[in-house]
Amino acid sequence: MSYAHEIEEALKDGFLRRTLDKFAVEYRAGRDRVFAEVDERALIQRIADVKDDAARRMEELYEKFRVEAEKRGAVVHRAKDAAEAREIIAAIAKENDVHKIVKSKSMTAEEIGLNAHIEAAGIEVNETDLGEWIVQLRHERPSHMVMPAIHLSRGQVADEFEKATGRAQDHEDVHKLVKTARAELRPKFLAADMGISGANFLIAETGSLAIVTNEGNGRLVNTLPRVHVALAGLDKLIPTLDDALSALQVLPRNATGQRLTSYVTFIDGATACAKSPTGRKILHIVLLDNGRADLARDPLFSQIYRCVRCGACANVCPVFRLVGGHRMGHVYVGAIGLVLTYLYHDRAAAKKLCQNCVGCGACKDVCSGGIDLPRLIQEIRARFAKEDGEPVASRLARYAMRKRPTFHRLLKFMRFAQKPFAGKDGFVRHLPMALFGKQGFKSLPALAKKSFRELWETRDSWLAARDSSPRATNQKHLTVKIALFAGCALDFSLPHQLVAAMKVFAHFGVEVEFPMEQTCCGLPLVTLGEKETALDVARQNIAAFVGEYDAIVTLCASCASHLRHWYKDTLGAEAEAFSAKVIDFSSFVHDMLGLTEKDFTRLDWKVAYHASCHLCRALGVKEAPRALISAAAHYTPTPEEESCCGFGGSWSFKFPEISKELMHKKLDNACSGDATHLALDCPGCTIQLRGGADREKRKIQVVHVAEVLAASLEAGGAK
Amino acid sequence: MEKTATDLFIARAEAAAAQVHAVPDEAAAAKEVEAIRAEKGADGGAHGERALPSGVGVVRAAKGIAQTGTCIVVTDDEALRLETMLPEVSVILLNSADILPDLPSAAPFLRAEQTQGRASYVSFITGPSRTADIERVSAIGVHGPLELHIVLIGGRP
Ligand code: SF4
Ligand code: SF4
Repeated sequence: MSYAHEIEEALKDGFLRRTLDKFAVEYRAGRDRVFAEVDERALIQRIADVKDDAARRMEELYEKFRVEAEKRGAVVHRAKDAAEAREIIAAIAKENDVHKIVKSKSMTAEEIGLNAHIEAAGIEVNETDLGEWIVQLRHERPSHMVMPAIHLSRGQVADEFEKATGRAQDHEDVHKLVKTARAELRPKFLAADMGISGANFLIAETGSLAIVTNEGNGRLVNTLPRVHVALAGLDKLIPTLDDALSALQVLPRNATGQRLTSYVTFIDGATACAKSPTGRKILHIVLLDNGRADLARDPLFSQIYRCVRCGACANVCPVFRLVGGHRMGHVYVGAIGLVLTYLYHDRAAAKKLCQNCVGCGACKDVCSGGIDLPRLIQEIRARFAKEDGEPVASRLARYAMRKRPTFHRLLKFMRFAQKPFAGKDGFVRHLPMALFGKQGFKSLPALAKKSFRELWETRDSWLAARDSSPRATNQKHLTVKIALFAGCALDFSLPHQLVAAMKVFAHFGVEVEFPMEQTCCGLPLVTLGEKETALDVARQNIAAFVGEYDAIVTLCASCASHLRHWYKDTLGAEAEAFSAKVIDFSSFVHDMLGLTEKDFTRLDWKVAYHASCHLCRALGVKEAPRALISAAAHYTPTPEEESCCGFGGSWSFKFPEISKELMHKKLDNACSGDATHLALDCPGCTIQLRGGADREKRKIQVVHVAEVLAASLEAGGAK
Repeated sequence: MEKTATDLFIARAEAAAAQVHAVPDEAAAAKEVEAIRAEKGADGGAHGERALPSGVGVVRAAKGIAQTGTCIVVTDDEALRLETMLPEVSVILLNSADILPDLPSAAPFLRAEQTQGRASYVSFITGPSRTADIERVSAIGVHGPLELHIVLIGGRP
């Protein structure tokens, strides 16, 4: 089955869709509740700092851990790769005459393909974590790190249990199925000679293991059999007990919305064991390298060591929510799964998987270690693009965009070429939908008759058309000078939104300049893996904005975050002054101008809000747009305002089915109340949602926050 | 009114599905344990091949953690450890004076346990065993106890 086909199949899996939809919403609520009690950001920062430090000192921590653990009777092994780890464990089994093994959850064991290897040696292996046991019975991979069987219904589980036990099972009552598992696995625990577990933390200071579980199987695995093998990656090493306890304030909260899991077990060496011939537990700790030590020195990718395998990056991922873990992961699932697949497991699989990411940033926002996952995924895509040589799109983009006049001439030519097809309402109307194929789920925007840069020349006429003389009562006149950064989509496709912003600026006396040499921000080039050209256009923009401005304002959240973060991160000092001045429209009006409801006339519009990924997460702007909407109209909160609309630039053309579903869900939510308008701060989202609302004949109007404000001022002026 | 560590402990332990029995002193605690044993039945054979002292496992916690409703039990001893794992009903005695505010404040205790020149096994127990692995339905009681009773000594006046 082709990958595209697999995705289509997943989207048709009604059970999976309902389960993951429900989970996405409930997970968010549960997570928010338990994080409200602690300082989330500080705890995440602490994990980041501790793990970054541990990655740098990996060898030192390993030595310390080994010495301390061996002092207390454990045997520590270091395996350079998966094969060596499998051999070490098989040898331990052999030398201790082991016939039966019970296992608790270990993602590292999945990573090295342990079960198949041990079973081949004639040893019986039983998974004991309920979800792992279910997928083992079905000969499947886990579809989630924390909930391995989330893709299965209770009926499917009951069928599997009937096969395994030879007895009829209740197909409705989950609690009875859980009882079956308890009864079925209990004798296996008692009969096993060896237990294999993972470990969540390897604490160097005392050579101890910390193991986090809920079901209680983990403790039986490491207590009942005479031999215990703990398998963990070198990345699990951390310096102190304090570090582990601090991280434990985040891990369960992020994984399952619990304050703490039912059990956290600290094993420090080989304790007394009745079944063992020596009277002490035979404890082996196998530390897996498998590329980790090298990666710890990578300036960009070493941050993956901050991962505590909480699974949150999958839980909030809009693509995971739609297609499930088997298509949004490999051994590991979700954003971290994409990265680890590339680094460790299967490059061919990673190439497909990494295309999936829409770049919404939701994963980064919740990650226990604050890993910049979208950035890593983007980098992997760029590397693949480079290896593949030049796709036509990249070559074209590079040719067209290196020189601004060429690029803008090209856009004008396209406007001419689309003429016979463009409708009056700004959508491409007259092309048969068949030509769009799967893209037909939204109407595509036409290029505007006049770009903003052309309209700019005649601004005196359209700005003067309305009464802008300051009114004595409520009008501020501010001495602020800004430069406007348009961005391609607004400049050429949605100039009326910039016109609305200009009216707001004029009303409050803000002095505006529009440097003509500005060009594309470069974000689409980065997405295509065209870093060199992206740097070229960045330099052109910096040069275009050398004037004395209080701020560089843009109505495009994507441009804003790219100009602010990527420019500074990539060009350093060269971009610092420029990046520092960049601000999004809503923050500028709300925070810098300080405008409030006193400055606006309240419209009778009921306005729902879509928080664009690049605004609410990349820039962390949450309050300003909502406050402005409340000031100028009636803000109508709707569910999941911060979830992605599915645009993602050229991504929506690669994954039209997923993009469509995200858009559809977004519009469902926005239309769930009595909103008349849906406001947002990003032209990408506008194109997606306006096009979708048009195609689906929704009653809601999609507008920029600037348009809400302009309409309010207009209404006030007419009073 | 500000919540005391004990109040918070009780609320959080109950949120994790533990049943908290607040008693004034040791004598009352012993009575409470007997009452639980009597009610839950003390049949030793309910748990498979391995004989257990009773169908109700009883251990004593060294510390508690208020913020999470957790009992910290030193379970170096294997038989004692199994008391917290195999029976369907688990009882933990905890002195309210031993309740610490949060996880980080347990570090000195844990460090002392782990630096005595011998191996150790310390269990943090928060509620009964649980799973949500089938359709995310929360089910209490998987491989560990189905019920967790905390007898909190000096818990409330
Ligand atoms: S950026 Fe968004 S789409 Fe991409 S992996 Fe993260 S959550 Fe998923
Ligand atoms: S990458 Fe972050 S969010 Fe994802 S599993 Fe690891 S720690 Fe959790």
